Amino acid sequence: MSEGGSGTVGEFIQGEDEPSSSWVILAFGLVTSLALLVLHGILYPGRDLPVISEILPVFEGVFDSGIWFFILGVMIGVFAIIATMMTEATSE
Amino acid sequence: MAVNWEILDIVSGDQAITSMFLFWGMMLLIYFLMQNGLSIFNDVTKSMSRFMLEKALGPGIDLVEDREGSASKAWFIQGMMWLIAASTLAFEGLWLKQDPTALHSLSAWGYDPTASSLLYASNFAALYGGIGMLLVGSSLHIIPRLSGADLASERNATLVSFLWTLSVVFLVIAAHDSVILGLNIFLIGTAMHTLGFVAIAINLLLTVSERKGALPIPGWLIMMGVLADPISVVATVLTGSIETGTGQWMLAQMVGGTFFFATAAGVALYVSSSASGNPLWSRSLGAATLVGALATVNPLGASNGRMAADMLGVAFEQLQPSSQDGIAMAFLMALAIIPVMALAANLMMTLRGGDAFIENPDSAGVSELNLGASMLLPLAAASLFVQSDALSAAPELSGMSETMLLMAIWLVLVPFSLGAALHLFPTVTGRSLLSRNRARWAYWMMGGGALLGLTVSLMSDLIDMSLIEATVEDPSALSADVQAVGAILFYGTAVGAIMHSLNSVSGLFRGAMADADRATSSSITMEDYSLVTPTSVRKILAGGADLDTTVVPVGESDDAGGPTEL
Repeated sequence: MSEGGSGTVGEFIQGEDEPSSSWVILAFGLVTSLALLVLHGILYPGRDLPVISEILPVFEGVFDSGIWFFILGVMIGVFAIIATMMTEATSE
Repeated sequence: MAVNWEILDIVSGDQAITSMFLFWGMMLLIYFLMQNGLSIFNDVTKSMSRFMLEKALGPGIDLVEDREGSASKAWFIQGMMWLIAASTLAFEGLWLKQDPTALHSLSAWGYDPTASSLLYASNFAALYGGIGMLLVGSSLHIIPRLSGADLASERNATLVSFLWTLSVVFLVIAAHDSVILGLNIFLIGTAMHTLGFVAIAINLLLTVSERKGALPIPGWLIMMGVLADPISVVATVLTGSIETGTGQWMLAQMVGGTFFFATAAGVALYVSSSASGNPLWSRSLGAATLVGALATVNPLGASNGRMAADMLGVAFEQLQPSSQDGIAMAFLMALAIIPVMALAANLMMTLRGGDAFIENPDSAGVSELNLGASMLLPLAAASLFVQSDALSAAPELSGMSETMLLMAIWLVLVPFSLGAALHLFPTVTGRSLLSRNRARWAYWMMGGGALLGLTVSLMSDLIDMSLIEATVEDPSALSADVQAVGAILFYGTAVGAIMHSLNSVSGLFRGAMADADRATSSSITMEDYSLVTPTSVRKILAGGADLDTTVVPVGESDDAGGPTEL
């Protein structure tokens, strides 16, 4: 169908409302990713994950306590505040 | 690198009780001067002060805006940010109590925190950063309202907020390492803090000097709370008791009982009336709170004077009062229960009005005020036991004093100051918080996290104390597990602080305009309920009405119906 045909608007439209079921797609994607990681462990037992297994040792001895998960949460929260300030201040 | 204050010791002897008498005398003088002015020096002093607040700062003062409410807004937002930092530091401190090497990897950057240093830093961040900034922000809004005058200098107050934040940054750093490159960081932080404090005090005094009528009780509580802080420092320095452990402890309690308790009381009383729409329940209880806050020693606080000693740069001394001082301090602390009870009762009755329910419970901030009022008396009573024990020759409850201080901060002072800020937010900024639902969630996260987390931490402390008393060789295994649970639960406080801050920041830009916002909001609220037949209150409430719904009786008759006449 051509853009100039009848029944078309002819320009890009982005909806303001978010469909309530859209998060299902994201959750499905996350579950699929985890399933594939598990599958890698089953198909190639004893073999490290490519790329990730080379990066993680860099942080060995740094994030070796559970407290870092909590600190990570706070950091995400603080960055969310900074991001909100920046986007709100610069948006029209 | 201690500072020698002995040169200012103009009163012979170093009895702590002398400091109290001097403090009371100076507060009475301040009250007299506030009521009667400075006679022929009035105009000169006022014009000089106004000059110092604005023109003396040169072009710097033009960096900030002069719009009404801009000062309070700046203090509120920075105060909320400090609550995030304070709760995170407190969480880390609680965690490190059971896992001391959890953050050892940071030592590669030269930062090697311990549980005590983190908790000490969190106290500075919470007291002077979070609570202090929120209280000052509320005061900058409340005092002009109660005085019927504009704030003397909106721009100076806005500018000073950044100086205050910088001073807290220095104090938090100093709590970890007080001497860096040969400089006493505490003294730098204290100097900046004093400068900011004096500017705020002058600003508020100038505003009050323009008052149209008598200043209501909450206004006096705020003013006396702000002014008593520097005066208590002067009193302890002049008597020389600042060099002793008793004087340092007493200064910490005096600042806690005046700037933090009295100011928080004034702000909370104002907001309880403003939020509920009810008049202040009792003026007498308000006056009892005011007099009691100044005349007694508030037990809420640390059981040593380390903060006071560090901030003034004197060597920290252990609390070892003479028997005379000990009796006097214990007596004054016991008397402090009077203003505490008066405040708690006044707040609760004002919030509830004539019925058993809190008015306007959906308003952000009211829940926090209710939490603070509910926790005030039990925590004051518990602190009284701990503090009285600290005055004895062989303290037995010192193991739980650190957690008690955290409870006083996060369950009394933070709810009061944050609750007031959240309620005043729409009036100050012109916009409401982005979401009341998020504010409610944040309240539960913050209040629940602090209550549960610190209660469990207290249990851990008690286990430690019991095992030490029973001379068990390795008492850490059991209490460490409990402490871990306490730390994780307290993490909710950090999450709640982040949610509150995010809600406020978003509200600044996208919140509903304050004048378009309704006083109450609920998904099932009904404006009017038409009562056509006799029915029970339960059925009316079940039908979606709330306490503010107007019940409208609709006339009915037993006459036979007929066609409507057109």
